[in-house]
Amino acid sequence: MLELRSISKNFPGIKALDNVSLRFEPGEIHALMGENGAGKSTAMKIISGIYQPDAGEIYWDGKRLSFHTYRDSINAGIYIVYQEIQVIPESSIAENIMLDKMITLGKSGIVDWQAINETAARYMRMVGLDLPPTAVMKHLSAAHKQLAQIAKALAANAKALLLDEPTSSLTQHEADNLFPILRELKNAGVTIIFVSHKIEEVMGLCDKVSVLRDGAHVGTRLVSQLTKDDLIRMMIGRECNDEHLGKLDVNREREMLRVEHITRADKAHDVGFAVYEGEVLGFYGLVGAGRTELARIIIGQDRPDSGTIYVRGEPVRIHSISDSLYHHRIGYVTENRKEEGLFLQSSIQTNITITIWQYIVNRLTRSISSVKETKAAQDMATALQVKATSLQQRVEDLSGGNQQKVSIGKWLAADCDVLIIDEPTVGVDVGAKEQIHRLIWDLARKQRKAVILISSDMREIIRVSSRILVFKDQRIVGELADVDDPIKTYDEISTAIGRYLA
Amino acid sequence: MEKKVVDMEPAAEAKQPSGKKVAAGKGELVSGRTLGLVMSAAILVAVLTLTPKSTFLSTDTMAFISNYVAFWAMLALAQAMCLVVGGMNLSVGAICSITTVVLGLCLDSRYLGLSGCIAVPIMMLAGCVAGWINGLLIVKLKINSFIVTLSTMFVYMGLRSGISGGDSYNRLPQSFKTIGNGTVAGLGVPYLILVVVAVLAVMAFVFNRTVFGRRLLATGGNAEAAKLSGVDTDKMTVWANVLSGLFAALAAALYASYMGVATPGTGDDWVIISFAVAIIGGTGLSGGLVSMTGILMGGVIVQLIKYGIVQVMKSSDYYANCFLGASILLAIVVDRVRETYDEKARSSAGRAGRKTGPGQDTGP
Repeated sequence: MLELRSISKNFPGIKALDNVSLRFEPGEIHALMGENGAGKSTAMKIISGIYQPDAGEIYWDGKRLSFHTYRDSINAGIYIVYQEIQVIPESSIAENIMLDKMITLGKSGIVDWQAINETAARYMRMVGLDLPPTAVMKHLSAAHKQLAQIAKALAANAKALLLDEPTSSLTQHEADNLFPILRELKNAGVTIIFVSHKIEEVMGLCDKVSVLRDGAHVGTRLVSQLTKDDLIRMMIGRECNDEHLGKLDVNREREMLRVEHITRADKAHDVGFAVYEGEVLGFYGLVGAGRTELARIIIGQDRPDSGTIYVRGEPVRIHSISDSLYHHRIGYVTENRKEEGLFLQSSIQTNITITIWQYIVNRLTRSISSVKETKAAQDMATALQVKATSLQQRVEDLSGGNQQKVSIGKWLAADCDVLIIDEPTVGVDVGAKEQIHRLIWDLARKQRKAVILISSDMREIIRVSSRILVFKDQRIVGELADVDDPIKTYDEISTAIGRYLA
Repeated sequence: MEKKVVDMEPAAEAKQPSGKKVAAGKGELVSGRTLGLVMSAAILVAVLTLTPKSTFLSTDTMAFISNYVAFWAMLALAQAMCLVVGGMNLSVGAICSITTVVLGLCLDSRYLGLSGCIAVPIMMLAGCVAGWINGLLIVKLKINSFIVTLSTMFVYMGLRSGISGGDSYNRLPQSFKTIGNGTVAGLGVPYLILVVVAVLAVMAFVFNRTVFGRRLLATGGNAEAAKLSGVDTDKMTVWANVLSGLFAALAAALYASYMGVATPGTGDDWVIISFAVAIIGGTGLSGGLVSMTGILMGGVIVQLIKYGIVQVMKSSDYYANCFLGASILLAIVVDRVRETYDEKARSSAGRAGRKTGPGQDTGP
């Protein structure tokens, strides 16, 4: 049994955990839920020894633990499977699995590959990983990498398995494959801690759930005694709304962007669509369906092999990202905010104003007007309700939801006419998610932008869009109009989408 | 949008303390760091002054040291230009070398015998061209700067040996030599150091306040994010390399002016110094962070060390490299300690500050 007693932990500007006490029993799948910034990942990292708590103790099987390094937790049998899967890409699956326990020929220090591959294969079978153990890691899909991680934990006789947002990189199908394996492990007596923000998932898989909110432990309940609304209320303190945000006023006279017959090997096959002023056009599809690839062609990062792009009715050739941004006023909010969307070590102000620097320059002195810069950043941060200590705070210190707001803010400041938003709420808490949805909807409704929303979250896309295009295998396989019509139900729409994907 | 949820302190409070210090959003960190450099320099000065038979505080020594600080600072600036965009310039010494040959050919009365006003700009142009070649190769061939500049280093060095045949150009016009050795009347401040300080001031302005400078920092800070935000990172890389070549040429020009001779061997040992001064001066190795005052202080410290080794410890100049290497390591270690200290400070500020409460952000 794993127990946390009165754990507290602080970071610059944030109280990550405040006197949190939790208990995880063997033989159960125990969910740890909460908004981003609630403290889930911090708790996990303290358990696995990566962070030291500022106060409190950890008990494992009744014994007081003091982890100073990651190795200590592994030695105690506690294994963590990360959201961002860390593997050694050039090595084989077997090597990755057996890394801690390389079998050698006697005491010679020479590796016994046969034994390693056989042992690894055994654990791989246990988790349903049907690949040769000698396959190289870097070619594996995210789902397979994750299974390999779990196999690795098993190979090391893990007594506790911590999974940090395990299904964030998986398709529905792959997630469905994972759950029986977790149940088996539970039955074998492993303590499983399942960190997730996906409510349906938790309710379908887990036995107990503990909710953290703003660093404090709100409560622990049996899942069987909870409704979805109860859970949401525990997480954000108020009700969550699934309904559509409202009918959008689309101006069909003003076509902002149209593409015809866009083809690029492996990225797009004869794709065509148009988006109008005041519209939120949803691109729904699974990872790899071709939506992001299409977006990157539109903004000029990639060149199409054939096809035409029309901006405001005129055929154009888009040469580069700065061309699409400054000349055609098309913006793109990337799905990878940390790698591609933000300058983590820079201030909120710098991150927001980068797209408008050239517009706030004093003609004579060529110097950026500090007043205008601050004002633009201030306006944006206020409009987006970014929670921060100041505009100069480093973006890397913000929570995921606030980081995403800054990432979006940069494009709002640029005042684009067409805004392509790619997976805006991945890793963002429920509260901020709602705000971002409302924001996107307002962009179309009030500010008359043409918005393309790329999302694999069915609820999200149905809630915000006025029209949905369904993508599969780099093609558009279906279109649903009038998604914002109040008569249509969620089930109606989601079924229709599902039919296109079948 | 609707309600103004005020969660932010007025931006005016977070203004950077001094106009010259630059970094994309890291103003405070840099100024604290520069303060540390100033203190280190002060300690060195104290040590050098207090050693017996020290001639340290004489005007001659001051001038001597200042001139060398000028060369090193300009050189470090050349290196820093490439570091800032996330690359490096191993050919910086070689560019000094080849541009010195160009200068010699222009100025020396045995060859073109042009006046300084024409020869020096030509030399600068040569430096820009050399830098431009580096930049083009990096961007068009998509080979990293380490390999490209390593190769061009050899190319330029080969060119300079071939063209000059190893001979120095010593029939230089007097006016040119005077600038190098002149000092402001009465104050004893050499012209060269004034030139360098002016250049650093201009670059500080560029990095801090111009779109171009900000984009350079963005390119080094996160090239992918910069690209997606509409910054032409390739163009920035080329420009950074051009400026690197320009400043290398300028460093060589200052040196030739001081020495009174254009020696083709100029810059052969200078690559290490360019890194040392840049790094000690707080230039981030992965890009996106630079400080002009830091570079100047870095130059001061390095020259004080070199001077100290030779004069005070009476050992040969070669051993100076040992100390330089040790200083770089020390600078990086101190930096790490400072970062950790800074994190703890930000952390305790967080503890004392507000805790975000559930009811605090009111939705629309």
